[in-house]
Amino acid sequence: MGTVVTFHVEASHLSEANVREAIAEASKMMHRHDDIFSTWKQESPMSLLRRGELSLDDAPSEIAEVLALCAEARSLSGGWFDASSMPGGIDPTGLVKGWSAENALGLLKDAGVTSAMVNAGGDIACLGSPSTGGRWKIGIRHPWRADALACVLEVNDAVATSGEYERGRHLIDPIGRLGRQPAAATVTGPSLAFADAFATAVAVGGDEAFAIVASLDRYDAYLIRADGSEESTEGICLVNASADK
Amino acid sequence: MTVKRGPFALAAAAAGFVGALGLHASGSVTALTPKLSTPRSGPSTPATTIPSTSKGGSNSTPPTSKGGPTTTTHVPPVKKAKGTSSRSVTGSTYNYSYGQLAVRVTVTGAKITGLSVVGLQTAESYSQQIADQVIPMLRQEVLAAQSVRVNGISGASYTAEAYVSSVQSALNKLHFK
Repeated sequence: MGTVVTFHVEASHLSEANVREAIAEASKMMHRHDDIFSTWKQESPMSLLRRGELSLDDAPSEIAEVLALCAEARSLSGGWFDASSMPGGIDPTGLVKGWSAENALGLLKDAGVTSAMVNAGGDIACLGSPSTGGRWKIGIRHPWRADALACVLEVNDAVATSGEYERGRHLIDPIGRLGRQPAAATVTGPSLAFADAFATAVAVGGDEAFAIVASLDRYDAYLIRADGSEESTEGICLVNASADK
Repeated sequence: MTVKRGPFALAAAAAGFVGALGLHASGSVTALTPKLSTPRSGPSTPATTIPSTSKGGSNSTPPTSKGGPTTTTHVPPVKKAKGTSSRSVTGSTYNYSYGQLAVRVTVTGAKITGLSVVGLQTAESYSQQIADQVIPMLRQEVLAAQSVRVNGISGASYTAEAYVSSVQSALNKLHFK
Protein backbone atom coordinates (compact mmCIF):
# COMPACT_ATOMS: atom_id res chain seq x y z
CA MET A 1 0.00 0.00 0.00
CA GLY A 2 2.65 2.51 0.90
CA THR A 3 0.43 4.74 2.97
CA VAL A 4 1.54 7.21 5.57
CA VAL A 5 -1.00 7.79 8.29
CA THR A 6 -1.25 10.87 10.46
CA PHE A 7 -3.17 11.11 13.69
CA HIS A 8 -4.34 14.55 14.75
CA VAL A 9 -5.85 14.77 18.20
CA GLU A 10 -7.19 18.02 19.56
CA ALA A 11 -6.51 18.89 23.17
CA SER A 12 -9.05 17.40 25.51
CA HIS A 13 -9.56 16.27 29.06
CA LEU A 14 -7.33 13.27 28.41
CA SER A 15 -3.75 13.22 29.61
CA GLU A 16 -0.94 13.27 27.10
CA ALA A 17 0.00 9.76 28.15
CA ASN A 18 -3.52 8.51 27.47
CA VAL A 19 -3.61 10.13 24.07
CA ARG A 20 -0.20 8.70 23.15
CA GLU A 21 -1.37 5.28 24.20
CA ALA A 22 -4.57 5.55 22.18
CA ILE A 23 -2.62 6.62 19.10
CA ALA A 24 -0.18 3.75 19.62
CA GLU A 25 -3.08 1.30 19.77
CA ALA A 26 -4.65 2.82 16.67
CA SER A 27 -1.31 2.58 14.84
CA LYS A 28 -0.94 -1.03 15.87
CA MET A 29 -4.41 -1.78 14.57
CA MET A 30 -3.66 -0.25 11.19
CA HIS A 31 -0.41 -2.20 10.95
CA ARG A 32 -2.38 -5.34 11.67
CA HIS A 33 -4.82 -4.48 8.93
CA ASP A 34 -1.93 -4.01 6.54
CA ASP A 35 -0.52 -7.41 7.54
CA ILE A 36 -3.89 -8.97 6.78
CA PHE A 37 -4.84 -7.15 3.59
CA SER A 38 -1.67 -6.15 1.82
CA THR A 39 -1.45 -7.77 -1.57
CA TRP A 40 2.19 -6.72 -1.61
CA LYS A 41 2.90 -9.14 1.21
CA GLN A 42 2.98 -12.55 -0.43
CA GLU A 43 2.02 -14.36 2.73
CA SER A 44 -0.74 -12.06 3.91
CA PRO A 45 -4.09 -13.78 4.38
CA MET A 46 -5.43 -11.66 1.51
CA SER A 47 -2.68 -12.86 -0.82
CA LEU A 48 -3.24 -16.46 0.24
CA LEU A 49 -6.96 -16.07 -0.34
CA ARG A 50 -6.37 -14.64 -3.81
CA ARG A 51 -4.16 -17.61 -4.68
CA GLY A 52 -6.75 -20.03 -3.38
CA GLU A 53 -4.42 -21.18 -0.60
CA LEU A 54 -6.73 -20.01 2.15
CA SER A 55 -10.50 -20.17 2.43
CA LEU A 56 -12.59 -17.25 3.56
CA ASP A 57 -13.73 -19.27 6.57
CA ASP A 58 -10.16 -19.82 7.71
CA ALA A 59 -9.09 -16.25 7.05
CA PRO A 60 -9.23 -13.46 9.67
CA SER A 61 -12.82 -12.30 10.08
CA GLU A 62 -11.85 -8.79 8.99
CA ILE A 63 -11.49 -10.06 5.43
CA ALA A 64 -15.09 -11.25 5.28
CA GLU A 65 -16.21 -7.98 6.81
CA VAL A 66 -14.33 -5.91 4.23
CA LEU A 67 -15.43 -8.06 1.30
CA ALA A 68 -19.04 -7.65 2.39
CA LEU A 69 -18.56 -3.88 2.37
CA CYS A 70 -17.01 -4.13 -1.09
CA ALA A 71 -20.07 -5.99 -2.34
CA GLU A 72 -22.31 -3.31 -0.94
CA ALA A 73 -20.15 -0.56 -2.46
CA ARG A 74 -20.28 -2.27 -5.83
CA SER A 75 -24.04 -2.38 -5.69
CA LEU A 76 -24.40 1.22 -4.51
CA SER A 77 -21.96 2.56 -7.11
CA GLY A 78 -23.68 0.85 -10.00
CA GLY A 79 -20.65 -1.35 -10.52
CA TRP A 80 -18.16 1.49 -10.95
CA PHE A 81 -16.42 0.27 -7.81
CA ASP A 82 -15.85 -3.45 -8.15
CA ALA A 83 -13.34 -5.30 -6.01
CA SER A 84 -13.93 -8.54 -7.89
CA SER A 85 -13.15 -7.25 -11.36
CA MET A 86 -9.39 -7.02 -10.93
CA PRO A 87 -7.02 -9.50 -12.48
CA GLY A 88 -5.33 -11.57 -9.80
CA GLY A 89 -8.44 -12.10 -7.75
CA ILE A 90 -10.60 -10.09 -5.43
CA ASP A 91 -8.94 -6.86 -4.36
CA PRO A 92 -10.45 -4.54 -1.76
CA THR A 93 -7.68 -1.97 -2.12
CA GLY A 94 -10.01 0.87 -3.09
CA LEU A 95 -11.96 0.51 0.17
CA VAL A 96 -9.75 -1.09 2.80
CA LYS A 97 -7.57 1.97 3.44
CA GLY A 98 -10.61 4.06 4.31
CA TRP A 99 -12.05 1.20 6.35
CA SER A 100 -8.86 0.82 8.32
CA ALA A 101 -8.57 4.54 9.08
CA GLU A 102 -12.22 4.67 10.08
CA ASN A 103 -11.67 1.83 12.54
CA ALA A 104 -8.57 3.49 13.91
CA LEU A 105 -10.59 6.64 14.57
CA GLY A 106 -13.20 4.48 16.32
CA LEU A 107 -10.49 3.16 18.60
CA LEU A 108 -9.48 6.73 19.50
CA LYS A 109 -13.11 7.54 20.21
CA ASP A 110 -13.42 4.49 22.46
CA ALA A 111 -10.39 5.72 24.36
CA GLY A 112 -12.21 8.94 25.16
CA VAL A 113 -10.96 11.19 22.39
CA THR A 114 -13.65 13.66 21.30
CA SER A 115 -11.94 15.56 18.51
CA ALA A 116 -9.56 14.01 16.05
CA MET A 117 -8.65 13.25 12.44
CA VAL A 118 -7.00 10.17 11.01
CA ASN A 119 -5.46 10.96 7.64
CA ALA A 120 -4.43 7.87 5.72
CA GLY A 121 -2.63 9.11 2.65
CA GLY A 122 -5.30 11.68 1.92
CA ASP A 123 -8.31 9.64 3.00
CA ILE A 124 -9.48 11.33 6.15
CA ALA A 125 -11.82 10.21 8.94
CA CYS A 126 -12.93 12.98 11.30
CA LEU A 127 -14.42 13.07 14.78
CA GLY A 128 -15.95 16.01 16.59
CA SER A 129 -14.82 19.53 15.74
CA PRO A 130 -11.44 21.21 15.40
CA SER A 131 -10.44 23.52 18.22
CA THR A 132 -11.15 26.47 15.94
CA GLY A 133 -14.79 25.41 15.95
CA GLY A 134 -17.16 24.45 13.17
CA ARG A 135 -16.34 21.62 10.82
CA TRP A 136 -13.02 20.27 9.66
CA LYS A 137 -11.60 22.22 6.74
CA ILE A 138 -9.96 19.91 4.25
CA GLY A 139 -7.96 21.19 1.31
CA ILE A 140 -8.26 19.14 -1.86
CA ARG A 141 -5.02 18.92 -3.74
CA HIS A 142 -5.19 20.30 -7.24
CA PRO A 143 -4.78 17.37 -9.63
CA TRP A 144 -2.15 18.91 -11.84
CA ARG A 145 -0.95 21.99 -10.03
CA ALA A 146 1.00 20.67 -7.09
CA ASP A 147 1.45 24.19 -5.77
CA ALA A 148 -2.23 24.77 -5.22
CA LEU A 149 -5.36 23.43 -3.65
CA ALA A 150 -8.35 22.99 -5.93
CA CYS A 151 -10.72 23.93 -3.13
CA VAL A 152 -11.32 23.65 0.57
CA LEU A 153 -14.26 21.61 1.82
CA GLU A 154 -15.97 21.50 5.17
CA VAL A 155 -16.19 17.92 6.33
CA ASN A 156 -18.12 16.28 9.14
CA ASP A 157 -17.06 12.67 9.07
CA ALA A 158 -15.07 11.46 6.11
CA VAL A 159 -13.46 12.56 2.86
CA ALA A 160 -11.58 10.57 0.24
CA THR A 161 -9.96 11.69 -2.99
CA SER A 162 -8.95 9.63 -5.97
CA GLY A 163 -7.26 10.77 -9.11
CA GLU A 164 -4.28 10.81 -11.39
CA TYR A 165 -1.88 13.25 -9.82
CA GLU A 166 1.74 12.97 -10.83
CA ARG A 167 1.77 9.29 -11.61
CA GLY A 168 -0.56 9.41 -14.54
CA ARG A 169 -3.46 7.18 -15.41
CA HIS A 170 -3.52 4.10 -13.28
CA LEU A 171 -7.18 3.38 -12.74
CA ILE A 172 -8.86 0.44 -14.42
CA ASP A 173 -12.42 0.65 -15.59
CA PRO A 174 -14.12 -2.54 -14.34
CA ILE A 175 -17.05 -2.34 -16.72
CA GLY A 176 -15.09 -1.49 -19.80
CA ARG A 177 -16.99 1.66 -20.51
CA LEU A 178 -14.02 3.97 -20.35
CA GLY A 179 -15.28 7.48 -20.83
CA ARG A 180 -13.33 10.62 -20.15
CA GLN A 181 -11.93 9.99 -16.72
CA PRO A 182 -11.85 12.96 -14.40
CA ALA A 183 -8.56 14.25 -13.12
CA ALA A 184 -9.70 14.07 -9.53
CA ALA A 185 -12.76 12.91 -7.62
CA THR A 186 -13.54 13.64 -4.00
CA VAL A 187 -16.34 12.08 -1.99
CA THR A 188 -17.56 13.05 1.48
CA GLY A 189 -19.96 11.12 3.69
CA PRO A 190 -20.49 9.40 7.01
CA SER A 191 -18.22 6.41 6.33
CA LEU A 192 -14.65 6.65 5.06
CA ALA A 193 -14.75 3.05 3.82
CA PHE A 194 -17.55 3.98 1.43
CA ALA A 195 -16.20 7.43 0.63
CA ASP A 196 -12.97 5.70 -0.38
CA ALA A 197 -14.81 3.23 -2.63
CA PHE A 198 -17.04 5.91 -4.14
CA ALA A 199 -14.12 8.24 -4.85
CA THR A 200 -12.52 5.38 -6.75
CA ALA A 201 -15.80 4.77 -8.57
CA VAL A 202 -16.11 8.41 -9.63
CA ALA A 203 -12.46 8.63 -10.65
CA VAL A 204 -13.07 5.72 -12.99
CA GLY A 205 -16.64 6.41 -14.10
CA GLY A 206 -16.63 10.19 -14.35
CA ASP A 207 -19.96 11.92 -14.82
CA GLU A 208 -22.03 8.76 -14.81
CA ALA A 209 -20.58 7.50 -11.53
CA PHE A 210 -20.81 11.04 -10.17
CA ALA A 211 -24.56 11.04 -10.82
CA ILE A 212 -24.95 7.73 -9.03
CA VAL A 213 -23.09 8.93 -5.94
CA ALA A 214 -25.07 12.17 -6.04
CA SER A 215 -28.25 10.14 -5.69
CA LEU A 216 -27.01 8.41 -2.54
CA ASP A 217 -28.24 9.76 0.75
CA ARG A 218 -25.58 11.62 2.79
CA TYR A 219 -22.78 11.16 0.27
CA ASP A 220 -21.53 14.03 -1.83
CA ALA A 221 -19.03 14.31 -4.60
CA TYR A 222 -16.75 16.90 -6.11
CA LEU A 223 -15.25 16.33 -9.50
CA ILE A 224 -12.49 17.98 -11.50
CA ARG A 225 -12.62 16.95 -15.12
CA ALA A 226 -9.63 16.53 -17.39
CA ASP A 227 -10.58 19.78 -19.11
CA GLY A 228 -10.44 21.67 -15.83
CA SER A 229 -14.19 22.06 -15.36
CA GLU A 230 -15.60 21.21 -11.96
CA GLU A 231 -18.82 19.92 -10.58
CA SER A 232 -20.09 19.30 -7.10
CA THR A 233 -23.22 17.89 -5.54
CA GLU A 234 -25.51 19.97 -3.34
CA GLY A 235 -24.10 18.85 -0.04
CA ILE A 236 -20.49 19.74 -0.88
CA CYS A 237 -19.58 22.75 1.20
CA LEU A 238 -16.88 24.82 -0.42
CA VAL A 239 -14.98 27.16 1.85
CA ASN A 240 -13.16 29.12 -0.78
CA ALA A 241 -11.67 28.87 -4.24
CA SER A 242 -8.18 27.83 -5.23
CA ALA A 243 -5.50 29.03 -2.88
CA ASP A 244 -2.91 29.74 -5.52
CA LYS A 245 -1.00 32.97 -5.45
CA MET B 1 -0.64 18.57 26.40
CA THR B 2 -1.94 21.02 23.91
CA VAL B 3 -1.91 19.93 20.36
CA LYS B 4 -1.58 21.81 17.17
CA ARG B 5 -4.22 24.44 16.70
CA GLY B 6 -2.71 26.58 14.00
CA PRO B 7 -3.70 26.71 10.40
CA PHE B 8 -0.97 24.62 9.03
CA ALA B 9 -2.33 21.36 7.74
CA LEU B 10 0.81 19.31 7.60
CA ALA B 11 1.71 20.06 11.18
CA ALA B 12 -1.76 19.11 12.23
CA ALA B 13 -0.50 16.21 14.28
CA ALA B 14 1.18 18.33 16.88
CA ALA B 15 4.43 17.83 18.67
CA GLY B 16 4.26 14.74 20.78
CA PHE B 17 1.03 13.48 19.35
CA VAL B 18 2.14 12.26 15.99
CA GLY B 19 1.60 8.67 15.19
CA ALA B 20 2.95 8.83 11.70
CA LEU B 21 3.30 5.30 10.57
CA GLY B 22 4.15 3.91 7.21
CA LEU B 23 2.28 0.93 5.99
CA HIS B 24 4.86 0.42 3.33
CA ALA B 25 5.13 -2.85 1.59
CA SER B 26 7.13 -4.25 -1.26
CA GLY B 27 5.95 -3.50 -4.73
CA SER B 28 6.86 -2.55 -8.23
CA VAL B 29 6.81 0.75 -10.03
CA THR B 30 3.06 0.45 -10.40
CA ALA B 31 2.57 0.66 -6.65
CA LEU B 32 0.69 3.89 -6.44
CA THR B 33 -2.09 5.07 -4.21
CA PRO B 34 -4.28 2.48 -2.55
CA LYS B 35 -6.92 3.31 -5.15
CA LEU B 36 -4.79 1.46 -7.64
CA SER B 37 -6.78 -0.99 -9.67
CA THR B 38 -4.15 -2.17 -12.11
CA PRO B 39 -2.67 -5.62 -11.76
CA ARG B 40 0.52 -5.77 -9.82
CA SER B 41 3.63 -7.10 -11.41
CA GLY B 42 7.33 -6.59 -11.44
CA PRO B 43 10.14 -7.24 -9.01
CA SER B 44 9.50 -6.82 -5.35
CA THR B 45 11.60 -4.42 -3.36
CA PRO B 46 12.44 -4.72 0.30
CA ALA B 47 9.69 -3.41 2.54
CA THR B 48 10.43 -0.19 4.32
CA THR B 49 8.76 1.00 7.45
CA ILE B 50 8.46 4.43 8.88
CA PRO B 51 8.93 4.64 12.65
CA SER B 52 5.60 4.83 14.35
CA THR B 53 6.45 7.61 16.73
CA SER B 54 8.14 10.86 16.04
CA LYS B 55 11.63 11.31 17.31
CA GLY B 56 11.60 13.60 20.26
CA GLY B 57 14.29 15.94 21.37
CA SER B 58 15.82 19.00 19.85
CA ASN B 59 18.46 19.46 17.26
CA SER B 60 21.75 18.03 18.40
CA THR B 61 24.19 20.38 20.06
CA PRO B 62 27.88 20.46 19.16
CA PRO B 63 30.14 18.16 21.18
CA THR B 64 32.05 19.59 24.09
CA SER B 65 35.79 19.74 23.78
CA LYS B 66 37.88 17.02 25.31
CA GLY B 67 41.04 17.30 27.32
CA GLY B 68 42.68 20.37 28.80
CA PRO B 69 40.67 22.76 30.85
CA THR B 70 37.02 21.93 30.79
CA THR B 71 35.11 24.28 28.62
CA THR B 72 31.56 24.30 27.56
CA THR B 73 30.90 24.88 23.93
CA HIS B 74 27.66 26.51 23.21
CA VAL B 75 25.66 27.23 20.14
CA PRO B 76 26.39 30.81 19.06
CA PRO B 77 23.32 32.99 19.40
CA VAL B 78 21.31 33.35 16.22
CA LYS B 79 20.95 36.90 15.03
CA LYS B 80 17.36 37.94 15.54
CA ALA B 81 15.34 39.62 12.87
CA LYS B 82 12.34 41.77 13.70
CA GLY B 83 12.24 40.44 17.20
CA THR B 84 11.71 36.81 16.19
CA SER B 85 14.33 34.14 15.66
CA SER B 86 14.42 31.45 13.05
CA ARG B 87 15.04 27.85 13.85
CA SER B 88 15.84 25.13 11.40
CA VAL B 89 15.74 21.42 11.76
CA THR B 90 16.05 18.57 9.36
CA GLY B 91 13.28 16.05 9.58
CA SER B 92 13.87 12.33 9.67
CA THR B 93 14.83 10.65 6.44
CA TYR B 94 11.90 8.83 4.98
CA ASN B 95 11.85 6.06 2.46
CA TYR B 96 9.41 5.92 -0.34
CA SER B 97 9.41 3.22 -2.95
CA TYR B 98 11.83 4.96 -5.27
CA GLY B 99 14.27 6.50 -2.84
CA GLN B 100 14.54 8.48 0.32
CA LEU B 101 14.53 12.10 1.29
CA ALA B 102 14.63 14.43 4.24
CA VAL B 103 13.30 17.95 4.42
CA ARG B 104 14.91 20.78 6.32
CA VAL B 105 12.30 23.08 7.80
CA THR B 106 12.89 26.65 8.96
CA VAL B 107 10.42 28.18 11.33
CA THR B 108 10.31 31.90 12.18
CA GLY B 109 7.94 32.73 14.97
CA ALA B 110 4.73 30.93 14.12
CA LYS B 111 5.34 30.55 10.42
CA ILE B 112 7.17 28.10 8.28
CA THR B 113 9.50 30.24 6.25
CA GLY B 114 11.78 27.78 4.60
CA LEU B 115 11.80 24.30 3.22
CA SER B 116 14.58 22.53 1.44
CA VAL B 117 15.15 18.94 0.53
CA VAL B 118 18.37 17.46 1.82
CA GLY B 119 19.65 13.99 1.42
CA LEU B 120 17.56 13.04 -1.55
CA GLN B 121 18.51 9.73 -2.97
CA THR B 122 16.47 8.10 -5.64
CA ALA B 123 16.66 4.55 -6.78
CA GLU B 124 16.55 5.35 -10.46
CA SER B 125 16.90 8.28 -12.79
CA TYR B 126 13.17 8.41 -13.57
CA SER B 127 12.42 8.97 -9.94
CA GLN B 128 15.08 11.65 -9.83
CA GLN B 129 13.38 13.45 -12.69
CA ILE B 130 10.04 13.30 -10.97
CA ALA B 131 11.57 14.40 -7.72
CA ASP B 132 13.23 17.34 -9.48
CA GLN B 133 9.84 18.55 -10.64
CA VAL B 134 7.60 17.52 -7.84
CA ILE B 135 9.65 18.58 -4.87
CA PRO B 136 9.93 22.26 -5.78
CA MET B 137 6.17 22.24 -6.32
CA LEU B 138 5.57 20.54 -3.01
CA ARG B 139 7.51 23.27 -1.27
CA GLN B 140 5.15 25.86 -2.69
CA GLU B 141 2.20 23.76 -1.75
CA VAL B 142 3.35 23.45 1.83
CA LEU B 143 3.81 27.20 2.08
CA ALA B 144 0.52 27.90 0.29
CA ALA B 145 -1.43 25.56 2.53
CA GLN B 146 -0.23 27.52 5.49
CA SER B 147 -2.12 30.56 4.32
CA VAL B 148 -5.36 28.75 3.65
CA ARG B 149 -6.02 27.60 7.19
CA VAL B 150 -6.90 24.00 6.53
CA ASN B 151 -6.91 21.18 9.04
CA GLY B 152 -5.86 18.56 6.54
CA ILE B 153 -5.20 17.85 2.87
CA SER B 154 -6.89 15.15 0.83
CA GLY B 155 -5.34 13.69 -2.28
CA ALA B 156 -1.71 13.37 -1.25
CA SER B 157 0.45 11.56 -3.72
CA TYR B 158 3.03 8.90 -3.17
CA THR B 159 6.11 11.07 -3.49
CA ALA B 160 4.45 13.73 -1.39
CA GLU B 161 3.98 11.38 1.52
CA ALA B 162 7.68 10.98 2.20
CA TYR B 163 8.08 14.73 1.90
CA VAL B 164 5.16 15.41 4.23
CA SER B 165 6.43 12.90 6.76
CA SER B 166 9.82 14.50 6.90
CA VAL B 167 8.36 17.99 7.23
CA GLN B 168 6.15 16.69 9.98
CA SER B 169 9.00 15.12 11.87
CA ALA B 170 11.03 18.32 11.56
CA LEU B 171 8.11 20.33 12.91
CA ASN B 172 7.81 17.91 15.80
CA LYS B 173 11.48 18.39 16.59
CA LEU B 174 10.93 22.12 16.58
CA HIS B 175 7.84 21.69 18.74
CA PHE B 176 6.08 23.84 16.23
CA LYS B 177 2.63 24.81 17.38
